[in-house]
Amino acid sequence: MRASDLDDWTTGTALDLVGSSVDRVDAVDKVTGRARYTADVQLPGQLTGVIVRSPIPHGRVVSIDTASALGVEGVVDVLTADDIDEISWYEDDAPLLPGIVRYVGDEVALVVAETRSDAERGVGALSVEYEPMEFLTHPDDVERPGAPELLGNESADEVEEDGRGDVDEAFDDAHIVVEGTFRTPVAIHNSLEPHGAVADWVGDSITLYTSTQGVNDVREQMGERLGLNHNQVRVVSEFVGGGFGAKQVAWKPTMLAALASKRTGRPVWVMNDRSGENVAAGKRNGTEHTVRIAADPDGRLLAIDADVRADRGAYAVKGEASAVSGPYLHLYQCARVRTRVRRVRTNTGPAVAFRAPGYVESTFVLESLMDELAGELDIDPIELRRRNHSSRNQQEDLEWSQPEGLLRSYERVAEVARWDETDDRDETDGEDEHDGLLHGRGFAAHDWLAASAMPPGHAGVEFNFDGSVHVSTSAQDIGTGTRTVLAQVVADELGVDISSVRLSLGDTSTGPPAPTSAGSTTVPTMAPAVRAAAAAAVDDLLDAAAEHHGVERSSLSFDGTHVKSSAAAFEDQPLGDLLSDLSPRVVHGWGGRETIAEDVSPRAQGSAVAEVSVDPLTGEVRVTSITVAPDCGRILNRRLADSQVIGGVTQGIGFALTEEQVVDHRLGVVVNPDLNEYLLPTVSDTCTIRHAALDIPDLRANPLGTKGIGELPLIAVPAAIANAVRDATGIRLHELPITRRRLLEAIASSEALDHESGDHR
Amino acid sequence: MTLSPVTSGYTRWDQSDRRLVSSDETEWFAGGTDLIPLARSGVLDLDSVVDIKSSHLERTVQRIDDRWRIGALATLSDLAEHEELTATVPAIAQAVSQSATLQIRHRATVAGNLLQRPRCSYFRDPSISCWMKGGSDCPARDGRNEHHALIDEPCVATQPSDLASVLVALDADVNIDGHDGSERTVPVAELLQRPVADRRSLHTLESGDVITSLEFTDPGTSRSTYLKAMNRAVWQFALVGVAAIVDIDDRHTVVSASLVASGVDSVPRRLTTSSETLTGRELTASSIASAADAAADGLTELSENGYKTALLRGLVQRSLEPMRGG
Amino acid sequence: MSNELFTLRVNGSDHDVADSWLGESLLDVLRDRIGLMGSKGACTQGECGSCSVLVDGVLVCSCLVMGASAVDQEIVTIEGVAPVGTPSDVQQAFVDAGAVQCGFCTPGLVMAVHDLLERTGSPTDTEIREELAGNVCRCTGYGRIIDAVQQVAVRRSSDHDGGRGDAS
Repeated sequence: MRASDLDDWTTGTALDLVGSSVDRVDAVDKVTGRARYTADVQLPGQLTGVIVRSPIPHGRVVSIDTASALGVEGVVDVLTADDIDEISWYEDDAPLLPGIVRYVGDEVALVVAETRSDAERGVGALSVEYEPMEFLTHPDDVERPGAPELLGNESADEVEEDGRGDVDEAFDDAHIVVEGTFRTPVAIHNSLEPHGAVADWVGDSITLYTSTQGVNDVREQMGERLGLNHNQVRVVSEFVGGGFGAKQVAWKPTMLAALASKRTGRPVWVMNDRSGENVAAGKRNGTEHTVRIAADPDGRLLAIDADVRADRGAYAVKGEASAVSGPYLHLYQCARVRTRVRRVRTNTGPAVAFRAPGYVESTFVLESLMDELAGELDIDPIELRRRNHSSRNQQEDLEWSQPEGLLRSYERVAEVARWDETDDRDETDGEDEHDGLLHGRGFAAHDWLAASAMPPGHAGVEFNFDGSVHVSTSAQDIGTGTRTVLAQVVADELGVDISSVRLSLGDTSTGPPAPTSAGSTTVPTMAPAVRAAAAAAVDDLLDAAAEHHGVERSSLSFDGTHVKSSAAAFEDQPLGDLLSDLSPRVVHGWGGRETIAEDVSPRAQGSAVAEVSVDPLTGEVRVTSITVAPDCGRILNRRLADSQVIGGVTQGIGFALTEEQVVDHRLGVVVNPDLNEYLLPTVSDTCTIRHAALDIPDLRANPLGTKGIGELPLIAVPAAIANAVRDATGIRLHELPITRRRLLEAIASSEALDHESGDHR
Repeated sequence: MTLSPVTSGYTRWDQSDRRLVSSDETEWFAGGTDLIPLARSGVLDLDSVVDIKSSHLERTVQRIDDRWRIGALATLSDLAEHEELTATVPAIAQAVSQSATLQIRHRATVAGNLLQRPRCSYFRDPSISCWMKGGSDCPARDGRNEHHALIDEPCVATQPSDLASVLVALDADVNIDGHDGSERTVPVAELLQRPVADRRSLHTLESGDVITSLEFTDPGTSRSTYLKAMNRAVWQFALVGVAAIVDIDDRHTVVSASLVASGVDSVPRRLTTSSETLTGRELTASSIASAADAAADGLTELSENGYKTALLRGLVQRSLEPMRGG
Repeated sequence: MSNELFTLRVNGSDHDVADSWLGESLLDVLRDRIGLMGSKGACTQGECGSCSVLVDGVLVCSCLVMGASAVDQEIVTIEGVAPVGTPSDVQQAFVDAGAVQCGFCTPGLVMAVHDLLERTGSPTDTEIREELAGNVCRCTGYGRIIDAVQQVAVRRSSDHDGGRGDAS
C-alpha cells in the first residue's frame, strides 16, 4: 500500500499514541548499559585494527616498513596500499590508502592485532618514510593569485551560481544597503560514538556492524567497491551513538575493517579514536560570506547579493555545504537574488554534511544583516521579517507546502519569549547599574529545505500467530527516536497497545529499503510508510477473516483486539483466536513512501529568540535563554520533539560561542584535535530552553502532515545569539564563535574608533 | 606508543623500597590523570611507573595553630569539600572547583596539580618538535598562541594549575622528601619556575624527589578570591585567572594585597605593581582601576594572545569590586 | 609475554586480568578484557565522562585510571548499579524524564547522577550543573537530565519522609 492512499488522519480518528509523549521504547536498554553499539560488538576470534595516519599535510609515502610492526607480539597483519587493488574512496575516486597523502590524518595503513594494546604497540613500531610536498591549509592561500594548484583543478571548477533578477541595478537605486564579510568556523560533529565498524567476512559474504546513519547507503557503497551484490553485504547498525550528518556515508574504517577481515579470515574491529574523529571523519565547512542586501525605506528587500567560499578540505565527500545558498535564495520575498558559491580545496580533513549543512552558516550571515537593517531603519526585527515574508519558492515558482508556517512561528516565538512585552525589558538592554553586565536579546528566522520525504521508504507489518505485531524496516535510529515514533504510528493505525509492537531496524537483512537518516526526513518518510504497512496488514487480516468465515469482506472491521462484523451471525473474534485459525497463513502488510510532495515546495521553517548577558570587561557571554518555534508539521511525540529542540539549541550555543577547529597553517596541523580544546557545550553552558511548539499538520508536505525536526532547532540559534550580543554591546561580530578573544578585540577596536571620533559613549 | 607489561613496569610504592625505583625513566604518579593520555598520544613512553597513591603520604587537610597543612595526596575534591578551609580561604575552593571536572578532581592530587606537564597543544602533539620536548624552537611563539603566555621566552606554555596561583598568593610552601634522603621546604613560587635550557620543565622538582605536603599561614581576616576566564563555563585551562588575597582594615584601607595571575606566564605571575598600588589605599573604583591598569605591566603580547591583557585587567577589576564596602 | 595476573573486584566479583600493559586504562580492562561493555570510550582523555565508574565509592573517569592501579579497590560500573531487570531509581528517572537520546553518554551520566545524589540529597539547579559538567551529551542537551535528577531527589525525599526507605 502506498502512504498516499490513506486518509490524512486528522479527522474522525481517535489517536491514542500519536502526539503523546510515549516513553522511548529502547530507553531501558540505554540506561542500563545493555544497548550494544558498534564499538561494543565482540565476535569470536575478533581482531582489532588501528589506523596509521599521516603526520604531514601533503607528501609522498616513500616506504612503509611493515616488518617492524609485524614483529610486535600479537600483531597479525599490516595493511598498506600495496595490499589493496583498485579500491578508491571519496567522490574523487582517490585511492583508499593514498600514495600521496593530502592532510594530517589521511589514512596510510592499518595494523591488525589480537588486542588493542598489541595493535597500538604495532603502530608505535611501524615506520613510514614520507617525502613532504608543498601544502596549503588556509583557503586565502589557495585563492591567492599565483598559488600552486596542489589538489587538482577541482576547486576552480566548483563555482555554483544561482538566483533571479537583475541584482546590480537594484543596488544602484536602493534606499539602504547593508553589507559585510562574515566567517564561520570549521566545526566537528563529535558524536560521542566515533566512526567505525566490525567486519566479519564469511565465504562470499560480509557482515558489517557499523555506526552509520544509512545502512542501505553503506551496503551500496561497500558492495560496489568490493564487487559484491547487495545480498552479499549485510549492514547492521542497531544502536548508533549519534551522527549529525557525519555518518551519512561509508567511511574508510569500514572498508579497512572489511579488507582486513577478508585477509585474516577473522572478524576485525576498527574504530576511530577521538583525534581520528576530529581530523578525518568529516567537519562542517569553514565558510566566508561577502554579502550585501538592499532595501526600501520600509525595510522591504530589493536585492540580496551573496558570495560564499566554502573550505571543503582535501577530498570531496557528500552533502557538505550543499545548501549554503539556500537561505539567501529562499528565506525572504525578494525579486533579485544572486548567489555564488566557491568550493576550495585545502590540505585539511574532508568536510561532510553537519546538521543543516550550509544553512546554519548562511543563516548566521543573512540574519546578522537583517538585524543591522532593522536597527538602521528602526523597525522591530520581527516586524521586518513579517514585511519580507515569502509564501512560495521563488526559484521554482511553487507555493510552500505551509505558506503561513513561518508567520505562525514568529507569533509563537514572540509570545513565548515575551518579545512584545514593554515592561522593564527594554530597560534591561544595555548596562545594568549593579553588576556592570550588559543584557540583550536577539531574533533570527530560518528556512529548511528538506521536509517531505526521502524515498524509498518501505516497511512490513506482520501479525505474529499470538497477535503481537512485528514491524520490519531497514531504517536506522541514530538516537532521534525513530524506533519509538514508528511504533506509535503502527500501534495507532492498528488500534493495539504499543507494548505489543516490536520493530526490527538498522539491519539491511531484516528490513526493506529505507532512507539514510539525514535532512530531517526519516520520520516524514517512514511514518507514512509504516502506517501504510499497518493498514495493509489490517486489510490482509480482514481478507483472510472473510474467506475463513465466509462472510462479506465489507462487513468486517478490526478494533485492535477483535475482528467484528456487522453481519448478525458473526460473533466478535479475538485477534489471537483468529490468527490461530488462519495458521499457517501469515497475515501481513507492506507499505511504502515512494514519492515526495509535488505541486508545492515542502518546507520547514522557524525562528529563535536568544537572551544574553555580556561582561564587557572580561568578554564573557552567557546565554540566559533561548526560545525556538520550529514548524515541524504534526508533532508525533512531544517529548522526543522537545529533546531534539533542547539538543539542537545546545549545538547552536556551541557553534555560536565555543566550537572551532583551529589549524596551524604553517605546519598544516590541527592544534585541537580532541575534546580538551575543541569545546563542546557542557551542562553549565546551557540555559533555559523553550520549545514554542507549533504542531501544524502540513498535509501538502506529507500524508501524515509531519516534517521532521532534527535540523530545525539549531539553524537560527547562532544568528539569534550574535544578534543578542549586538543588542547588548552595540558590537556586531562578523565571525563565530564569539570567544573571549574575538569579543575583547572587537570591544577594543570599537573603543579605539569611538576615541578617534570623540564619541565617548 | 612504547609500553611495558604491567607485570614488570608497575610498582606500588611504599617507603622501604624507594631506592629500587628512582631512575629518570620512572614516572611517579598518584592521581595519574594525565599519564594515560600522554602515553597514548605517544608523548610519553611508559617503561616503568611507581604508584604512590596508596603510599604512606598524607591526605589530610588540617589547621595547626595559624598554619594550614595539606597532605600531598589530598585530592582537589578534598580541598573543595573542606568546609573550614573553604570558609577561611574561599579562593582555594574557587580555584579547585573551576579546575577540570568532578571526575578528575576526585582523582587528581594537589601535589600532582602543581607538577603538571604543559597543556600546550604543540607539546602534546608527538609529531611536532618543540623546545620543551628538547627541540630548538617553540612552534607556538609564532603559531596559534591564543592560549599561551604573554612572555618572550623559549617556551610560551602557561602554568596550567589554577591552585598554584592561589598558593603563590598565599606565600605557601611545599615540603619535599629529597631523593638523597634529605627533607626540605621551599616556597611554591620557587618550586614553579620558568623552564630553562637544562631544565625543560615547569617545575624544579628533581627525579626521585617527592612532595609530602603543602603549608601556608592562615590569611586571617584577609579576603580571598579566584576568578577564572574560560571560553566555556567550565573545564578549560585558564585563559586568564586571578587570585587575590587582600587584607582590608575597618576603615576600608588595604593593609596588604597579593595578586597573582594564571594563564599569562609559565609560572603563577605575581602582579606586583597592582598589589603595591592597592596597599595603603582605600579600595575604591579609582584604586581598583589603578591596580587593573598595572596588571599587564611587563607582559609581551604574541600574535594571537593580546586580548589577554584586557582580560587580565578586567579580571583584576572584577576580583576586587566585591571586596569594596564591607 | 607474561601470564601473571592482577585481579580487579568489579560489581562484587573478582576478575583476573592477564597480559595487560602499562597504559591500559581501567576502561580498556573493563571493556576489552572483562567484557563489560556498558562503560563507553568516547574521548579516552577524561573530557566527556562517558566512562564514569565508581572506584571505592568515588566517581572517576575510568579512561584515566591505570587498570593495574585499581587492584584492591571496589569498582562499580553501570552493570552493577542495579540488579538485572530492576532499573535503579536513577535509571528509571532517565526513562521517565526522557533524558536519553542516542544513549552513548547515558551510562556515564547515570553513574554521575548516582554519585551526585549519594553526596547531595536535594541538589539545586546550580549544583547539578556544576557536578555534571564532566559528562558531555551531544544529543539531548542536558535539560531532561536535570529533570531526571530532580525527579529522583523528590522521590527519595518523599520516600524517606514516608518512612519507606530508599527507593534504590
